[in-house]
Amino acid sequence: MESGDKKVLESLINFLSETGIAKMFSQMAQSAADGNWLQVVGTPLMIAIACVLLYLAIVKKYEPLLLLPIAFGMLLTNLPMEFTQKLMHPDFFVNDEYLIDGHLNIQLICSEGGLLDLLYLGVKLGIYPPLIFLGIGVMTDFGPLIANPKSLLLGAAAQFGVFAAFLMALVLGALGLGFGVNEAASIGIIGGADGPTAIFVTKSLAPKLLPAIAVAAYSYMALIPVIQPPFMKLLTTKKTRSIKMAQLRPVSRTEKILFPIIVTIVVALIVPDAVSLVGCLMLGNLVKESGVADRLSNTMKNELTNIVTIFLGTTVGATATAESFLNPQTLGIIALGLIAFCFSTIGGLLLGDLMCVLTKGKVNPLIGSAGVSAVPMAARVAQTVGQKENPSNFLLMHAMGPNVAGVIGSAVAAGVFLAMFK
Amino acid sequence: MSVSEALATGLQTTVVGLSIVFSVLIIIMLVLYCFKFIFAPKEEKAQPEPPKPVEAVKEPVAEEQVNEEELIAVLTAAVAASLNTSTYHLQIKSYRRVGNNMPSWNKAGVTETINNRF
Repeated sequence: MESGDKKVLESLINFLSETGIAKMFSQMAQSAADGNWLQVVGTPLMIAIACVLLYLAIVKKYEPLLLLPIAFGMLLTNLPMEFTQKLMHPDFFVNDEYLIDGHLNIQLICSEGGLLDLLYLGVKLGIYPPLIFLGIGVMTDFGPLIANPKSLLLGAAAQFGVFAAFLMALVLGALGLGFGVNEAASIGIIGGADGPTAIFVTKSLAPKLLPAIAVAAYSYMALIPVIQPPFMKLLTTKKTRSIKMAQLRPVSRTEKILFPIIVTIVVALIVPDAVSLVGCLMLGNLVKESGVADRLSNTMKNELTNIVTIFLGTTVGATATAESFLNPQTLGIIALGLIAFCFSTIGGLLLGDLMCVLTKGKVNPLIGSAGVSAVPMAARVAQTVGQKENPSNFLLMHAMGPNVAGVIGSAVAAGVFLAMFK
Repeated sequence: MSVSEALATGLQTTVVGLSIVFSVLIIIMLVLYCFKFIFAPKEEKAQPEPPKPVEAVKEPVAEEQVNEEELIAVLTAAVAASLNTSTYHLQIKSYRRVGNNMPSWNKAGVTETINNRF
């Protein structure tokens, strides 16, 4: 009788020691023994952060299509589990212990990796961001840009924030935050306001910073209607804000078909590293504009984009472990990301002002702020701010030009960084 | 890396990077300006695009000139929507009001058939 009781007790203890709670406490005890106090509270804190992000996605609807999978991925990866049970092992991708001469150990990942490890290969190998660009290409109408080529300059000017943040990150790095050129480039690209581009650059240059950069990029994109208007009011006058722009000329089908082909060739000739992004963007656009492959364009913009978004969001979220996320660098990234967004807006607006002066008031400088590539959010902000000044003014289509130019611009900036630092 | 080195590297990259971004986009811009000259004038002459099955029957109604533009815009949008295409591809050249010259028994029959479908 007594030995039976003992067995029951033993198996109960065994079971309890297998539970997540026991794991969490043993991890905490170990971190405490190592003197790593941030990690002691790491697991519960990360789960709490994931829940806050879930709240923002579901209740506040901040970019829910991405933030929801990102937040849930973050939750999954931080659940206390045995190493072999884990769905995701970010160490396989960044820790030298698991890499072979700095390259992925594919065999190890395939045999030991969890579900999210396998899906994360799509990020690490640079597959998902171009696929998302394929869908964005189908959804983008370059008509307003073709009708008003000057918009391209505004799209380029709005990349100012990318380089400004790069510069600041380098200086902060020199002051002891541990950012080298690779990290600085990844942080700067947040200013491009383009999630897939930021992920594409970061996974090659600074994979350890991926979770923080993805979260910063997508959060600020959701906050564009809050970030931009103060600068737009500051850098324009009441008079210039109410300028009405001439109606755009109609664009023929031939032009719309030639545009993606020519852009791909031009970009490939100058910045080959940008071609995987720009090429896919233009392929998607060409498939749509040609009108001969509706089935393909429907798949690209619906099913394919949705599937890839799920994989991308969940796995990027899953890289956010306590070790990689809870450190001073993350705070630096979040601050620099905001600076990058502000400077991008300022860059676009200043060139908008210049164009307004040069064209003797034919260009409304507000469309400059739409040069950051968050499509169509930035263009909508320009429309709203413009309409406040002059309710009969419709800037939306004029702002779409710089907006889609910003997508090309940030992809080119990404290509420049990859070419320089990869 | 010291602060001054960081500043130097950063500024250098900024100048080089921004000028590459600008030069790529300026080249595309120049190409687009060429587009304007190649395609835009032609547009006006050779507008009659592939004649879509637009309800283009002659005899424009001359009475209600006031809302003419608006009416044509509405017609173009309606045709575009039903053909699942863009308004860019369509041009309404003329339209004709299909008058109410249908015998009333005929009208009653049509109404009844439509109602039966619901």
